[in-house]
Amino acid sequence: MISRPKGRFRWASKWFDRSAPTATRARPARPDAGTASGAFWSVAFAVAWRVLHNVFTTPSLFLPGMIFPLFFFTAFAGGLSRVDNIPGFDFPNGYTAFQFVFVLLQSAAFGGVFTGFGIARDFEYGFARRLLLAAPRRSGIVAGYALAAAGRWAVTATILTIVALAVGMQVGGGGVDLVALYALALIVNLAGTLWASGIAMRLRTVQAGPIMQLPVFLTLFFAPVYVPLALLNGWLHSVASVNPATSLLEAGWRGLRSAERAAL
Amino acid sequence: MAQAHGIEAEGLVRTFKGGIRAVDGIDLRVEPGEIYGFLGPNGAGKSTTVHMLTTLLPPTSGTARVAGFDIVKEGPKVRTAIGAALQEAALDSLLTGREHLNLQCALHGIPRSERRARSQELLERVGLTLAADRKVGGYSGGMKRRLDLALALAHRPTILFLDEPTTGLDVQSRSALWGEVARLAREDGVTVFLTTQYLEEADALADRVGIIDHGHIVAEGTPAQLKAQIGRPTVEATPADGATPEAIARILERFGEPTGGSAKGVAVRLEHGVSDLAGIVRALDSEGIKLENLALHAPSLDDVFLAKTGRSLEGAEEEEAEVEA
Repeated sequence: MISRPKGRFRWASKWFDRSAPTATRARPARPDAGTASGAFWSVAFAVAWRVLHNVFTTPSLFLPGMIFPLFFFTAFAGGLSRVDNIPGFDFPNGYTAFQFVFVLLQSAAFGGVFTGFGIARDFEYGFARRLLLAAPRRSGIVAGYALAAAGRWAVTATILTIVALAVGMQVGGGGVDLVALYALALIVNLAGTLWASGIAMRLRTVQAGPIMQLPVFLTLFFAPVYVPLALLNGWLHSVASVNPATSLLEAGWRGLRSAERAAL
Repeated sequence: MAQAHGIEAEGLVRTFKGGIRAVDGIDLRVEPGEIYGFLGPNGAGKSTTVHMLTTLLPPTSGTARVAGFDIVKEGPKVRTAIGAALQEAALDSLLTGREHLNLQCALHGIPRSERRARSQELLERVGLTLAADRKVGGYSGGMKRRLDLALALAHRPTILFLDEPTTGLDVQSRSALWGEVARLAREDGVTVFLTTQYLEEADALADRVGIIDHGHIVAEGTPAQLKAQIGRPTVEATPADGATPEAIARILERFGEPTGGSAKGVAVRLEHGVSDLAGIVRALDSEGIKLENLALHAPSLDDVFLAKTGRSLEGAEEEEAEVEA
């Protein structure tokens, strides 16, 4: 039997309330300890709650992800609106809708990248260790970050859509096309999150930020962002032709395109 | 309630890049309900051992079972059974104390209906009810440590890992934390694996102590057993103005072998124990040597460390610091 000091520290224990309930008694705690899916989802929702809570209660985290897409949208759609009139620009719903697709997909991709920044910060400041220690199912941590990235982007996408409609964006596609457009953006968001999460979890430092951001930035901007592919020339046309982001944009444009005008 | 399993490790090794063996073949066994003190200087391998036992790091070789579960093959079950408060409290400065506890409960799958009550119970337990709704960015070091302990207890673990839980705390906070850890083991039957570089912490809290140096356990036993291995006390004489340390050393060496003392004093480990003290006083008096202080020290864990490694724990700290610099 192990002997233990009794009353030895009583004089100094002003903080620890001994009258508090002592239900800490060692016993198994997890009511769903046996169910792997229960553990997975409880971890995922907990991680997602924390990220979204921090993002939406901290303006310095929330505003950049919100302002940049709006800035890009207003700058490009407004400043380059005459592109609509140049020969060869064949997007039937106008330049605002053309730009909207790009900015929507860009915000989705960077929403994922910003989540990667958060993961790197969690590793650098030690909070990730708490998650790794507490989570019985660690795959739930990644799922939680992905859910948070999607939730964060959903708010950005909603505001972006409202602004775009307010400035007169023409929507030509049907309901299914629009759902497909937002589903596509969600997939881009997930891809961005997984890419940035992988880098963040591998390098575990916020200094990895450029590695997360730069490839996504280059991939998006070497696509036909300002004008359709047919209007690009030279090396940029060659690069854009093989860039997978071009296919994503073209799929997105189909979501907003009026079938009737497209047929023309 | 005592649980059936504690901690068992056999030949646990962790090698880092460059071939550094931070933990080099550790065997240990911690009985259920026991407080096990893992004592050693910075860089000795304490935290690496804890990281392996808590499934944060895979071992390079060797095996370990925590709460009866293999740390490599049954990581999720290990994490369900343990709580851990590691060296730096891993807290989110944007969350409040209460939010941290709710989050921790959620991570452990505690039903939503129970989370509020459990959080409140733990906040009361660690004396943070008044600060519960403040962001932890504004907490003091002691408050963060107490919150960290509460978080480690959220899911009622059967085994608790505390990695240097009192480093950087003031004396009062440290004593309070010691009291709570002792109570957890005594009343709740929690097995505690406590790493520390403070001798008095291991001495005061631990039922058994393992001393680790350069990745090896160099001594293990109850504090009393370890001190009994050293057996003999030391006496330290501090010369008064005018007396030379050399003259004192010459006399003291007749009574035992020299050992590390303070900067001003001369110390020897007594050959025949306390009974030598009278002879020392007579010898010093007959030579007309005046002393500022004469102190008898019972063997400490630092003496054990010195005997097992050839250097004192404090000296080892400085040495490690120099290596790291």
